[in-house]
Formats: sequence, structure tokens, C-alpha cells
Amino acid sequence: MITITVNGKEIQIDKPMTVLEAAKKAGIKIPTLCHHELLESYGGCRLCVVEVERMPKLQNACTLLAADGMVIRTESEVISKVRSEMLELLLINHPLDCAYCDKAGECELQDLVNKYGPTVGRYKEEKRKVPESHTDPIFARHMGRCVVCTRCVRMCDTVQGASAISMIERGGRTRMEPFSSTSFNCEYCGNCLTVCPVGAILSRLYIHSYRPWQVDKEIKTICPYCGVGCSLFVQVRDNSIKRVIPKIGQGLNNGLLCSRGRFGYEFIESQERLKSPLVKEKGKFKQSTWNEAFHFVAGRLMEIRELHGGKAIAGIASPRCTNEDNYVFQKFMRMACRTNNIDSISRIGFAAAQKYIEDLLGQGVTSNIIDGLKNSDAILVIGGDPTAVNPILGLAIRAAARNGANVIVVGNAKGLVPIIRDKTLRIIHPVFREADVLELLLTNIFKTQDVRAEKPAIDKRIKELSEKPVKMDIKEMEKLVKILLGSNSISIVAGMELVQRVDGHRSLFAIAALTYLLEARLFLLSEKPNEQGLIDMGCLPDMLPGGRPINVGDFKHKFEAAWKESIPQDKGITLMEMIGAIRNKDIKALYIMGENPVFNLPNGHYIREALESLDFLVVQDIFLTETAELADVVLPALGWAEKDGTYTNLERRVQLLKRAIDSSSGIEDWKIISEISSIMGYEMDYSSAEKIMEEIAKVSPLYRDLTYKEIGAGDCLWPYHGEPLRGELNEVPVAVDITQDYKADFYLAIEKPLFHSGTLSRRASALRKICPEPTLKISPQHAGKLKLKEGDRVNISTAQGTISVPVSIDASITDNRVLLSNNFENKGVFNLLNFSLDKVTKAPGIEGCEVKIERK
Amino acid sequence: MGKILLKNIENSNSADINEYLKIGGYKSLIKAFEMQPKDIIGEIRESGLRGRGGAGFPTAMKWSFAFADTKFPKYLICNADEGEPGTFKDRPILEKNPHLLIEGMVISGYAIGAEHGYVYLRGEYPYAKEVLNKAIAQAYEKNYLGDNILGENIKFHLTVYQGAGAYICGEETALIESLEGKRGQPRSKPPFPVNVGAWAMPTIINNVETLSNIPYIISVGGAGYSKIGARECTGPKLYSVSGCVEKPGVYELPMGTILRDIIFNYAGGIKSGKKLKAVFPGGISTPVLPADNIDCPMDFISMPRFGSMLGSGAVIVMDESVCMVKVAYRALKFFEHESCGKCTPCREGTDWLRKILERIECGKGREGDIELLSEVVDIMYGRCFCPLGDSAAGLVMSMIKHFRNEFEEHIRDKKCKNQK
Repeated sequence: MITITVNGKEIQIDKPMTVLEAAKKAGIKIPTLCHHELLESYGGCRLCVVEVERMPKLQNACTLLAADGMVIRTESEVISKVRSEMLELLLINHPLDCAYCDKAGECELQDLVNKYGPTVGRYKEEKRKVPESHTDPIFARHMGRCVVCTRCVRMCDTVQGASAISMIERGGRTRMEPFSSTSFNCEYCGNCLTVCPVGAILSRLYIHSYRPWQVDKEIKTICPYCGVGCSLFVQVRDNSIKRVIPKIGQGLNNGLLCSRGRFGYEFIESQERLKSPLVKEKGKFKQSTWNEAFHFVAGRLMEIRELHGGKAIAGIASPRCTNEDNYVFQKFMRMACRTNNIDSISRIGFAAAQKYIEDLLGQGVTSNIIDGLKNSDAILVIGGDPTAVNPILGLAIRAAARNGANVIVVGNAKGLVPIIRDKTLRIIHPVFREADVLELLLTNIFKTQDVRAEKPAIDKRIKELSEKPVKMDIKEMEKLVKILLGSNSISIVAGMELVQRVDGHRSLFAIAALTYLLEARLFLLSEKPNEQGLIDMGCLPDMLPGGRPINVGDFKHKFEAAWKESIPQDKGITLMEMIGAIRNKDIKALYIMGENPVFNLPNGHYIREALESLDFLVVQDIFLTETAELADVVLPALGWAEKDGTYTNLERRVQLLKRAIDSSSGIEDWKIISEISSIMGYEMDYSSAEKIMEEIAKVSPLYRDLTYKEIGAGDCLWPYHGEPLRGELNEVPVAVDITQDYKADFYLAIEKPLFHSGTLSRRASALRKICPEPTLKISPQHAGKLKLKEGDRVNISTAQGTISVPVSIDASITDNRVLLSNNFENKGVFNLLNFSLDKVTKAPGIEGCEVKIERK
Repeated sequence: MGKILLKNIENSNSADINEYLKIGGYKSLIKAFEMQPKDIIGEIRESGLRGRGGAGFPTAMKWSFAFADTKFPKYLICNADEGEPGTFKDRPILEKNPHLLIEGMVISGYAIGAEHGYVYLRGEYPYAKEVLNKAIAQAYEKNYLGDNILGENIKFHLTVYQGAGAYICGEETALIESLEGKRGQPRSKPPFPVNVGAWAMPTIINNVETLSNIPYIISVGGAGYSKIGARECTGPKLYSVSGCVEKPGVYELPMGTILRDIIFNYAGGIKSGKKLKAVFPGGISTPVLPADNIDCPMDFISMPRFGSMLGSGAVIVMDESVCMVKVAYRALKFFEHESCGKCTPCREGTDWLRKILERIECGKGREGDIELLSEVVDIMYGRCFCPLGDSAAGLVMSMIKHFRNEFEEHIRDKKCKNQK
């Protein structure tokens, strides 16, 4: 224990830290410009000078380590004089354009000068001029205002790990360059904006539109983009979002954000938002009143229910909607529509994986704290790029690598490739053969690490696999096994590419078994903000809220008692099965809440044909999406930032979503559904989202006793007060192995880019400026073979159709796959892809899609 | 005292390993390998050797810190980034006597437990690079470098790394940053490089001249060596004399030789019979001495008593015709250009000082400028991250102290009388 005295106050610290940090702990603020708590000490600005007894001259608090018995003063006449002098130096070349600068009012330099002076400067020479730069789509740079604290550079290097900015020139000519030059890799996280103390780096999204003191309100909410669930502070003026910022110490992102979270909010105020309910008459949409629409929908659903029974109705829930929306949705489907046909787009990834793995290992096995990734000494990444899918989780992996962890990447995780210290720790495997690599790894680990004999079904399956190991030559395997067995804290990060294979369940088993053998922590990447919540709310055909299997009588009865109605007998079907059933005319009506399956499912034409053949289609959304266009009734809902509710992130942390602005047109999803349900004879009467959570807290064994108050305080981490289910399978489900060799020239696969997510992001103008159109990513070697240069336009054709896009050469691609994203209207890769179902997980296997590439 | 560091350099082939071997080269290495590392450090301690880079830190003390550190690998870096204006003392060693340095480095590496050494060479020394690389190749060939030196199972490799022309990279922590491929900027101390240096491992950084003293110390023993030079400041010293003298050049003399002696005896006095005005005794980073204050022994201990420092031993001599305002201006132009930009006082202060001095020199000085200069110097002095900014401030301070009248003249007459 070290004791120091600061301004007469005794401070005890239990680990080595600087005087500045120790003082801060005791609530004593020492002024600084270059120090930032997310960054390492720098010692450049010289403002944090303090007096230390028995030391001859003033010391810099940010670099001075606190030593036992130190007596420190942080304010005195001498200190104030030095600070005033340092500020005078910082101002000699500063333009002093506060009247015009957007930072004024929240500028650290301005605040310090206000406190310490000087009131006049002695500098009479000409000021150095650095031209402003407005060439970047997002960042406006005024390097004349820069105080060379280098926080932005250090943030970009040591936290974000993008190294997109550097100091150029020396001495007084030093400035920070370049943002987003082609030779660097700006990830547009905007974390440089957060740390810039002055107006040197500003966002063009809000520049000149308001001043910090004109913010009407600031609302803490959760990001609408991915399953990490970062905390956002939405700043609103005149019912319009002006800026979205993170805050240190708030939320799991602790002051950091990614491009989508920080700059992707503009979709909410898009001109394309639906303005009133639409009812299709003779193939054309007509505006209708809410009352008409409610009665029309309820009437048609009742007709179909009476005529064909509940099994002819199906519902698709949404991982972008809140827990409350999804809870009400599944209750409506089960109670009012009398069907268990409930599923969601998460079936093609997260939900399929989560269900399979929890069936094997028990509930909560994926509930690991993202921040804890930093402490891993080995991280196995497979099936996707965490830095693009879940960027803040990706940063934790980069941080672990900086701390010395071995990051092992199987396949391509572009954002991690530069940080893999040992280049042999990247496993390049034959295309679409992730399952083989994982099984091989598993059986090799099993050779030295025996099973734990806790889970007989898994033990048995591992032994079975070891008896006929996969034939595949991975030369790094021995080293990999050695690293994993020699590590104390292992994390496995699995992306959803793994699931989207015909043999996806093989990979999932291997992942589960590795987690079990190595006592690893498992993280499943989640693309949407509430995939876990959707599962917890029971938006699955075979699961009730709380992940309780519907076929277990006890659970079923409890819910029936609470809901005062029986749960339908018919077994529900999964998403892709629904599409088949629609095509077979077994399902006549489909209710879609906040989802766009025509665009977001593979083989878009096939899906479109199916939906067109429905007797009745209802779509509840905020935009007239590709799917909504096919609907008989379109109901405008509220978007993120317009409603209250909760999201459950991939760690199973429940967090509050809060209304920041008011919408003039939409209604909450749960409210729309409640109205229709009541008309259909199943009364639902919730006055607020909070009331719904009160019900969830009563009926769900997982969310027991959760309140908004508790959730708002940020304490709702798994396992809450609930009862996780530890049910285990007696037999590991397996399907017939279908291992194919893929020998065509090119295969088409899905790209998950950093800057887009689809329906929302393509309506966020900032994200469109950063990345305006899709490109076909191809390896340099294959581009060479086809004589393609960066930017050449090509036609890419599969059996499903043709899309024309420019080419982008990507050195991180090492095989004959070409990648296209599924983010832009009419140019989504899903339109070109076919699928065949994984018989175990019921997820679509998207592999082996041959593609022809021709120069246009 | 016979020549030790510059021995045999008149021989046009002195850089060749065979010539070096002829005069007894690499014999110290063989002797050192028969000693225990800690005994080598003991000899160095006894010799009283101080670092020749400018600070005069006792070499044995630095070594024993690194020796005691249990982290491996350790690194040995030779600071050959000789960039201080007026300093060219290391150059004859690098260009004419490279094997002396290599021998010194192998012994040092053995003593502290480093198996890899780097010579961080000044960007503007391309010829030295060529000579060094050739010498290193020869040393490898003769098995004085490699995995199993002289069959003694001792490993030492040596790499030349050339800087890109930044003065600041002569500062040891900035040098490490640069060696690691980063921007040349000083790091905070502590931790010191002896514990957390290159790639965060224990690292010894010694000047070329320091390391070149090692073979001689091993050969004659610490006690023998300490008989040379002054008390507490032992050994031979290379003085590079430049400016208005008859015979500029590098002089190898015992540490503590009187400055007047160096200028008037060894360097042949002031050029063209003019009168001495002032001297920078150890490069422009050391405070200037006026003509009446040059009876000082040139060593680390004595110089502060005369109001200056030994620095690198770069004696820059200025005669009566030299304008001191112009010297100050030119020096500040250098410091401003070489400031790395990390800390506020140096980055902004050198810029400000240069602008004021430029104005005064050009005849645009204003009433109060001398006071303003002093005020800016006060803001900077003692507040900079590394010695660069303090040196700049110190130079202006000493110039005003000794030659205030020249500044006043410039401001009053609105011109520099040396400029036509």
C-alpha cells in the first residue's frame, strides 16, 4: 500500500500509478491536454506540473509515479504561472477562432485558458498557418487549432489499432495526417474525435449545425447496430439527433464506438420513413387510418385461422426489435393466431448456433464478458471478422494481442490479420472446409487432453470423431495444439459463417467440444442488436420465453396459466421450413415484424416468389423495404431512438433503450400487435414497455424480478436472478457427412463489411459517404489472372442472376472465393446465392456457389 | 600520452582488420573472454570511465544496472548519431578505426550479457557506414563476431542501423524509438533504457568513444587507465576543434586539458591573428564562454564551475569578427528545426525564440526584445521533456548574459554591422 498526500488529503493506492491517476482517484483534477485515461502517459503538454516536497523543480504528474510518502500540491501561484505560460505557448500559433469553432463550449483548451490565463499574449510574430481540410467525407480537419497532444494518433495506434493517422513533420510544423488516405486504413470509428481536446478534428455530420450548449437533451441508450450493445449518448436539438457520442465509464464500450454506432444514426430521420399505414388494393398501396388497418389485419388473420387453423399462419420476429416487442409478438402468434410457427432471420446464424451449443453445454455458456477477452492469452477466431461484425469486441481482441496473447485466425478475419504476431498463426484452409479444420484441431487436442467425463454425450462424440480423423494437411496444427494446451485463459470467438454451411453443425459441435475440453470462454458474434433477446423472449418455434422447451409439460402449463390460454399443440417450424411451407401452400398468412427476408435471406428470388404466393402478408417496419412492397398491409413502426425498451446483447447483458426523439407517424411494434390481438379476441392491454417487462419478469424463469430500474443501473448481467436451464442431450445430433471438394474457378461468398449492416445503414448518409456502393472483393492473385484492376466494373453471375459492381482487390483473401456484401439495394449478395439446409440446425448452408466474373 | 583511440589512423589502411591485428588488435577481446563479466565491469569501475556522449555518466554503473536485470535478451547499442553542431570526434574512429569500436562492443556485450549489438549511425555518415559494414564483415570472417566467437561459445552479432537525419535521435530514448522503426521522439524516464530499452528489454547505450575506450582498459587494467587524465575524470578525450582557429581538427588529449591550451597550443591559435571573442566548449548545447574565461580544465567535473559543460568536447571558436546575435539566431534555427514537437515549451518556444532573433538580426528588433527573449527563456528552461529545449534556452541565456551589448546595438542601430 502506497500513501501519498495531495493538497493535504491522504490518498492510499494499492497498485503503481502516476500522481495524476492517484489524484484523480481522490477526486482531485490536475489539468492536462495530452493525458487521456484510455491512453498511456505521454508527458507532452507540460500542464500537469505539480510541486512535490523535497524535489527541486516542478514535476509532471502524468509521468511521475506515486511513491510512498510523497507530499504533493497541485495548485499554487508558481504552478498557476507555469500553466499560464504553457497555455501562452500553446496559443501563440493557435488561430483563436473560438467564435467560429464548433468545439467552443466543450474545448479543453478554452476551459484551461479561462481558468489559468493568460489574458494577453506577448507573441507578436506571424502565426503559422495550416490549411483546413474538408476533403474527407466525415472528418473536417483544422490543424491550425491542433495542440499536438497526439491523443488522436495514440488512440488510433494503441486502442483502435488502425494506425490510420500519424504525426508528420517535426517541431512547430508537426501535424496529424492523413485520415483515410488510401495507403492507410481508416476505420471511421471516430474515436479520434472523442479524444481531440480542441477543434482540430470535427465531424462533418454536425459541424456548423449547433453548439454544445444548444443541446435540448442528452439521452443514454443502446446502439441499434450489432449484438455488442454499446452505450450511446444521443444529443438532441429540436427533436432532431445532432450527435451520438460514447462516454468513458459508461457502458461496456467505455468511451469507444465504431463507425456504424457513431455515424450511422441518420436513418432514423430519413425522408423514406413510412408515414402512415398502407393497405394494398388492386396491387396498389393506399394510405389508410390506423383503425381501418387494425381491423383489416385482424379480420383477415381470423378468417385464415378459422378456415385453415393456426398452423397456416406464421410469424417472423426481429432481432432489431426490443425484448418487449418480441415478447408480445410471440405471445400474439401463440395466443391470438394459434401457432408456434415463430422464427427470425437469426436462424441463419446466431440463433441456430446458440441453440445448438446451449443444448450441448447448458444455458449461459456464451455469456462471457467482452472486456474479459483482453485478459486471454490465446484467442481462436473462426468464421468471421470480429472487427467488422462486432467492432468493439474486435478491439478487445486487438488489445489482447497487444498484451501478448496469441491470436489464431482460421480463414479470413481481415481486421485481425495485421495484429497476428506470428504469421503462422493464420490457418488458411480449403474453401468452405472450416468444419474439417475444427474437427482436426479437436481430435489433435483430444490426443493430449482427455475428456472431462462430465458430459457423456459429448465425450462419446469426441471419441467417435477421433476414431476416423479428418484427412487434411494443416502444417500449423502441431504448433496450434501446443499453444492452446499451453495457455491458461483461452477464448474462442466464432462468427456465423460457420453456421452457414451444410455441415455447420459439425463446426458447432467442434467449437462446443473445444470450449469444454480447453475450459475456454466462448463468444458468438452477433450481427443484430437483440438476437439473444429474441431467443430469450421465445421467438423460436420450439422454445417459450426463458429458453424453456415447449415440449416439456411443466413449462408449458406454467405459461398457459400465466397467459390464461392454451399453447397450440402443433409443432412450429423454423424460418427456412416456413418458406418451403409457404411455397407448398401449407402456410397462407405471414406476419413479419421489422424484417426484410426478401433481401436478407439467400436466394432472394425464391423467397420473393414464396411471399408473393401468400394469401395474406403483413409487414411492420419503418421503411418500405423490398419485403414490405409485397405486403397486403404495411404498418409503420417506431425506430430505434423513438421508443423505450430493452435489448439483450451477446454477453446476455440486458440494457435499456430510451426514447430520444418523437416520431409523428409510427407506433411501437408491441402496441400495434396488442391492438390487433385484442380485436382478434385475445386481450392485450399494456400501457408501456415497462409494463411488458414487468410481465416478462413474472413469467420468464430467466428474467425473473428484473426491473427497468435495475436494468437502467447497468447491473443486469447473466445470470440475473433467474434459473438457467442445464438440460443436456443424451445424443449429439449429427447428419450425414456431405464433404464436397470445391474445384470451380470462383465461389461467391458473403462479405460482412465494417461500414454497413443493410436496411438501416444504407439509409444513413454518413455511412453511404464512407462506403457508397458495394464492390466485389477478390484476391490480388485472382484479379491478376483475370487482368482486373481496382475499380474495373464486372458482371457477376450465378444460376440465380447477375449483378454489376466494381472490383476491389483485397490482399486478405487467400482463396478462390470472391466476396460481396448484402447491404445495398438491388446489389445484395443473397440475391445471387442458393442454399441447402443444414439438417440439424435448420440454418441455410451457403456454400459452393459457383460464380462467373466478366469484365463489363 | 600516446594515442589510444586514434592510434595508427595515419596509416591509410587502418580500417583493415589485418592492420588492426598488426598493432595488437583484438588481444583485449581474448583477454576479456578469460575474465568473468562481473570482473570486466569491475575493471571499468576502477578505470573511472565516464560516458563520452555528453552527460559523463559513470559507465560501470550503467553496465551493472543492465547486468543485474534478469530479463533477456539484452541489447547493446552504440550511439553513433553524432549530430551536435561542431562535433566530429567519433568520425575518425568510425572511418579509420572501426575495429577498435567492434572490439569494444564485443567485450561490452559479453560483460552485460547482450548477444546483439546495434550501431545507430548518423544519417549523414554514408562513408562511415561503408567502412563499418566492411569491418563487421571482416570481423565475422575472422570469428570475432558470430554465434561462437573464437570457439569460446560466446555469441555476439552486430548490425549497423542508419538514422534518417534527426538530431533528436542522438537522445538515447528517441534513438531507441527510431531503431524500433517509430518516430524519433524521447520517451519518459523512468523506466530507463538499462531496464526497459529497445523492444522493452534491458539495453545499454554508449557513445562510440566510450566503447572505444574499453579495449584499452582491458589491456592495461582499470588502475592503469585511471592514471590518464584528471582525477575523477579519467582517460583520453577526443576534442573536435572548429571555427576560427589555424588548425581545426580532432585532438586526442588527456581528459582535463585546459581549453586555452587546446585552442592556442594544439589548434594553433586564432586564424589570421585575430582576437578570440568566445568559445562553445562542448557544442552549441553548452553555454558559451567569453574570451576571458577559457582557463578551464576540459572535463565533466570542472566545466560547470566555469559556467559551462564539457558536452561532447566540440570546441567551436569564434573570433572578434563574429556577430553573436547571428550565432544565436543560427543556433536557434537549428534547434527549432530539430525540435521533435513532443513537448509544448520546446516546440513553441524554439519557434518563438528563433522568430525574435531573426528579427533582431535583420535590423527589425524592437525595444524590449531582449527582455522578451529572457522571458521566453524563463518559460522554457527546466520545463522541456528532454535536454534539447533546455539547450536552446540555455544558449540564448548565455548569449544575452555575455554579449548583451551586441543585442542592444542591433536593436538601436536597426542593423547588424557585419551585414552589408
